[in-house]
Order: sequence, then C-alpha cells, then structure tokens
Amino acid sequence: MNKLLLTKSALKHGHNTLMQGALITSLTVIMASLAACSQPEPTERAAAEYNLIKANDANEDIGKYVLPQDTAILDEPNAEEIFYGKRLLNETKRLLPEHVGATMNCNSCHISQGKIPLGDPYINSYNFYPRVMPRAGKEIDLQARINGCFKRSMNGKPLDREGPEMKAMLAYMKWLSQNTPKDQMVDIKNAGSVDESLVPDPIRGEKIYQVQCASCHGDNGEGIKDARGDVVFPPLWGEESFNIGAGMARTYKAAAFVKYNMPMGIQTKGLWGHGGVLSDQDAIDVAEYFTHQPRPDFAGKVNDWPNGKKPKDARY
Amino acid sequence: MKKWLLYILMAAVIGLVLAFIIGLLLPQMRTENSSMQIDITDPALIKQGEYVARTADCVACHTTLDGADYAGGLPMLTPLGAIYSTNITPDKETGIGNYTLADFSNAVKHGVRKDNSALYPAMPYPSYQIMPDDDIAAMYAYFMSAVKPVNQPNLASELPPVFNWRWPLAYWQALFAPKREFTPESQDSLVARGQYLVEGPGHCGSCHTERGIGFQEIALSNADSNEYLSGAVIDGWRAKSLRGEHRGLGTWDTAELVDFFKTGRTDKTAAFGAMAEVVEHSTQYMTDTDLQAMSAYLKTLSPAPNKEVKLPVKTDETTQKLLDGVYDTRGAILYAEYCQVCHRADGAGVPRIFPALDDNSAVYARNADSVLQITLSGGRMPKTPHDRMAFTMPEFSHLSDSDIAEVVNFVRNSWTNQAPMIDTTDVVKMRAFLKKKPTTATDLPPDLTVANSNKGAGNE
Repeated sequence: MNKLLLTKSALKHGHNTLMQGALITSLTVIMASLAACSQPEPTERAAAEYNLIKANDANEDIGKYVLPQDTAILDEPNAEEIFYGKRLLNETKRLLPEHVGATMNCNSCHISQGKIPLGDPYINSYNFYPRVMPRAGKEIDLQARINGCFKRSMNGKPLDREGPEMKAMLAYMKWLSQNTPKDQMVDIKNAGSVDESLVPDPIRGEKIYQVQCASCHGDNGEGIKDARGDVVFPPLWGEESFNIGAGMARTYKAAAFVKYNMPMGIQTKGLWGHGGVLSDQDAIDVAEYFTHQPRPDFAGKVNDWPNGKKPKDARY
Repeated sequence: MKKWLLYILMAAVIGLVLAFIIGLLLPQMRTENSSMQIDITDPALIKQGEYVARTADCVACHTTLDGADYAGGLPMLTPLGAIYSTNITPDKETGIGNYTLADFSNAVKHGVRKDNSALYPAMPYPSYQIMPDDDIAAMYAYFMSAVKPVNQPNLASELPPVFNWRWPLAYWQALFAPKREFTPESQDSLVARGQYLVEGPGHCGSCHTERGIGFQEIALSNADSNEYLSGAVIDGWRAKSLRGEHRGLGTWDTAELVDFFKTGRTDKTAAFGAMAEVVEHSTQYMTDTDLQAMSAYLKTLSPAPNKEVKLPVKTDETTQKLLDGVYDTRGAILYAEYCQVCHRADGAGVPRIFPALDDNSAVYARNADSVLQITLSGGRMPKTPHDRMAFTMPEFSHLSDSDIAEVVNFVRNSWTNQAPMIDTTDVVKMRAFLKKKPTTATDLPPDLTVANSNKGAGNE
C-alpha cells in the first residue's frame, strides 16, 4: 500500500519520467517472460516405433524401427525416384493404365502407403524377398511378387522387371525399410488373424455389407470414382474388380484384411481412421459374401500351388 | 485520515449491502406469474413441447456424454473454471419436479430460478426471451410428463468466490438481457418464422455472435446490429459467420442449408464439432418448412461489416501439381501423404463421405481454429437416418506442431482457397487448449459394431 502510494505520488509530481519508463519497461519484461513461460514448447512428431528382430530369432531385441514420414524422402539422393514409386503405388490405375485392368491401386489394399501393420504394409517387403512361396512353389523375388499383384489383384499385365516404374516402386520400398539390415526385420505383422474354423454365412454377410460397406463400395459392389474417373473406393466385384487369383478373393484372407482395416474413416485414431468394428464372424461372413460375387477369372491359376498345400479358401 | 478512511469503508459497506439487496430484488422484477391453465398430460401438447424442446436444443447442454437425458452435469469451460448444466428432469429432489409453469417460464425466458436467483448466461435466456407462452407451456408439459425423472444432484460451479455469487448476475441481466418482444423484419411469413427460430429457440447467436466484455452477445438480433451472427470462436471452434459475405454464407444457397441442417452434410461439406451436435440433437428433427424458413432467413442477412463481400477470383493450380507429383512445399508432401487419399488431389473430397477442402467456407475462414482442432483431435459427422454411415476425421496429433501448421496452411491456401497463414504457435496453443477440453459425443467414433447395426448403421 505504502509503496503504491509512493509510486503514485512520484508519478503525480511528474519529475521522474525516467523512473516511469523503467517501471513500464520492467513490467513489460516481466509480462513477456511470464507469457513465454506459460507457452509450452512445440510438440515434435510422435512417430510409430517398432522393434527390430533378427529374421531367424524373433526374441532378440536389437533396436528400433521408426516409421518415416514422406518429408524425409527429400534427404535421399534418389528422392525423385522414391516419390515416383510412392505415386505409382498410390495412383496405379491412373499412372499405369496399360498394366492395370481393375479399377484399383496398389494402395487400395496396402493401406496408407504401406505404412500400417496388419494393413499389408511394405515395411518388411524389401528384405523379405527373394523367398520360396507356397503359391508359386518356388523362390520368387520382389519384382516377381509385385508382378503377381499386377496379374491378380490388378487383373492386369506385369511391369518390365528392369523398367523405371518397377525400379521406382522398389526404391520406395527400400526407403521404407529404412536401411534395416538384410538379416533383420521389423517386428510387425502384415495381416491380422481370424478364426478359420468359423463357418461363413453369406446371407448375414450381405446384410453387413449393405450397412457397413455399401456407402463406399456401392450397393452393387461397383465402388466410387472421383470426378476425373480415378479410383476412390475400389469395386469389390464385377469386371472392374480383382480377379479370382487375388489373395483378396479368398474368404479368410479377405476377412483378416476387412477386420483390421475396414471401414475407413470411422475411427478417430489411425492414419485412415480404420477398422476394428467387426468380429471374426462378421468379417468372415461379409468376406464370404463379396469374394464370391462374380469377378474376372485368372488365366494363370493352373500353375498355382504346384506342390499341394492349397489353402481351404482357394478359389480353384 | 483514519476517520476519512472509515467513512469510505462505511460507504462501501452500505453500497455493497444496497447493491446486494437490489441484486436480490432485480430478478423478481423480471419474473411473471402465469395464469395459463394447461393439461400437462395432453398428448398433443406434449408432442408439441417435445418439438419445441428440439428446436431449443435443450438436450445438448443438459446431458453429458454417457448421462441420462436432461440430467445435467455437462461442464462449460470459462476462463475462471467450469460451470455445470443442471438437472432439468422432473425429479422433485434434484430436478425441476417442483417447478410450476410460471417457475419454468421464468427460468427459460428470464433466467430466474425458482428461488428467485439469477441463472448464469450460459443458459441462452436472452434468446429464449422471445418465445411465446404457448410454446413454453407445451415444453413444460413435455418435461413434466414425458421426460424420465432422474435423481442426480447438480454440481457446484468451479468459479472462485465473488464470481460464484449469484446476485451480481442480476445486474448482468438488467444490462444485457432486457425484456424484449419478437419483431419480425419481413412481411414474408416463412422468413419471419425463420428469423424467430434463429433468434429465439435456435439461439444460433450463442455460438455465432461475438461476445462482448461482459460475456454478452454483442447483438441479439439483426435489428440490433449487422454484427449479429457474424461469427465467433467457441470451445476452440470457429463458429462461422452466417451473414452474406463470401466467408459467411455467401457461397451457400438455401437448398444446401436445408440439406446441411437435415442431414449434417452436403455434397461439399459436413458439420463437425459443436455444429455436429446441433444437427444430431436438434435440426435433424425439425420440419422441412422450419428448415426452409431458417435457411431463407439466414440468406437475407447482409454481409458482415468490415469483411470482404467477395474474395478475389483465384485459379486452381494445386490439383495439377498434386496429380503430377510436383510437391513444391513441405505442406504439399504432407497433404499427399496424409490427406489426399480422402480429400483428393482436387480438394473436392467425396460427396457425403469426405468433405471438400477446396471452396469450403469452414476451411478458408480467417480464423483457423476449426481446421486446427479437427486436424489435431479428429471428430465425426452427425448421425442421422438420411445417410447410412457417419464418417470420421482421424486425429493427426502425432504430427509435429510445425508440420500441422504447414499442412493447414497448405489446405487453407491451395486450389481456390485464400486464408491468412498460421504459425507453429497457433498449433501449440490449440494443443494446449484441447488437453483441457471435455470430450463430446462427436469427438468419438460412431458405434458401428454389428450388434448395434440392427438399429440401422448406428442410427436410432
């Protein structure tokens, strides 16, 4: 009180403008520093992190894999090639119409640019191949695996193994592997599991389809295209859909995808706000319904599973 | 000196006592006795009251996320602490079971409780003031006869002493919530009905009109000022201007407004945040005529003062660049990675599924809060029976604050959009605000489990 009165009288007598100035300045400094204190620091990116494991010893914890953001591509010497690969995977139908028969993109199934565990990610793809695969019955490399997709899921034609498109896709997948050594892998699963002992009920599946899927994939499975005719939601059956040689045409494989990744835009978490609403039975019922709708045949089917071990949901 | 101080002290005490007494008396000058005789069990009256309660959106504030309808308890944040909405079920102990029609009317229209103390202006009685007695009576019948009584005590406010005193509020009421009658601006009965719904029960101004120094809406009607409904910020959302300028409703037509009120979306946009709640609880239940009326009235409002009536024409260069993979800003790379799959290269989204970002007046508002909040915390569209599914925006809180600023600036200034730039500080502030904000229903994903879908894709 006394101090205040003193200051007041000093100001009133007006013979100390210097003091007044100092007072205002110090007040301003105090206010500014208070404001600075109350302002939290900017938040940094909270990237998804997964453990690295030895490919032949899943229990050994040897480091972390940090999911990269596309802005980091700029740091790479072949940034342009990586970006091109990413675009080809995102917009395959528009950019490679000669090779894509279906109205689909790679990333229709490899959700969020192949960056999501259980959403068919590419995170381990670069190191996983070449490998002996049961369907082919022999060792296939990553180029062959990608071309398998072009012939089956995309119902189209394979790319030139040495062409710039294939190289660009590989460059994106290599970048996404973040230099994980060849004998290591990121400890994630590419697909979730569903209980394969459950018996599918396609009648119930159709009901679920109409309620949970048809808004985007259409009442008749036709999907949705944007104003330019590019794929937004891929057709799930019919001439423009994947052929019977695709993994997605198999009930239990499709169910595992649907359970963890569909619908999109219905959660507030996850890059696509996706999945997590269907039970195993729901997913199997709806998968049975849409996989068994009419779709293109696959000419190369006679060569599949040459050594037996054909899965029970194979279409031929 | 001492004596002098004593006099001042005495004068202050007497003044305070006088102010206190007048403060106690003031509310009584606002109240009215009703001589209306109504039958609160009359089904037609109850039905009418239920509709009026929908237009007034009582349920939105008087119900918590998992709470019983109208049982109160929803926190409303003020800079000094939260206040909580009250139990307005007909429970005699904790609700309004002992309210007479006159008590009910005095609370709703005049902001005066049964005990003659003033209600906080969080209750929009300055708007409800113009509601006709017949509608209030119908609403009373509905609450007393059709709402389930719930025994749930009201929560005390968190306001500090002095601010939690009720009697000074009487002065607030005398200053800012004067008694007024509804004055139609138009001879056209549809437009007049719309004006009434917007100004009265709809209490659109509670969110869409700026508030003044006393937390009062700076205008309660268009006749008051053309700053009425010219937009404000509430709960970290930009409640857009509803007036005629470009960033207001200049680019909307009445059919789009009706579609928006009825279904919570149009081919171009979707309600989110607080407005999603309004559609979900209130406007989807309104008759087509009432929705036409509100839309027609809103389209009569002149451009807000000091705002650009029409923004300069801008040519879209963004779409082609994104299609060609020409990422010339960090924001473009981020957009292509996180946003483009749904909102598309042309920013047009997917009609009724994913809102457009280009030419969407919620996106290029001068204030970026709505875009920031939905980007950081996600949210969902309202659920109505008109669309099979209510879609969400997922949260992107895992991005860095500087990247959020980059991508928000990209979205707000790409295609034909034009908006002021934001910086990292704005993101930091919004993130800090969102930590304190209570969760509301549209912050959460819809219940799409198949067990629930026999109710129709999560629709009631």
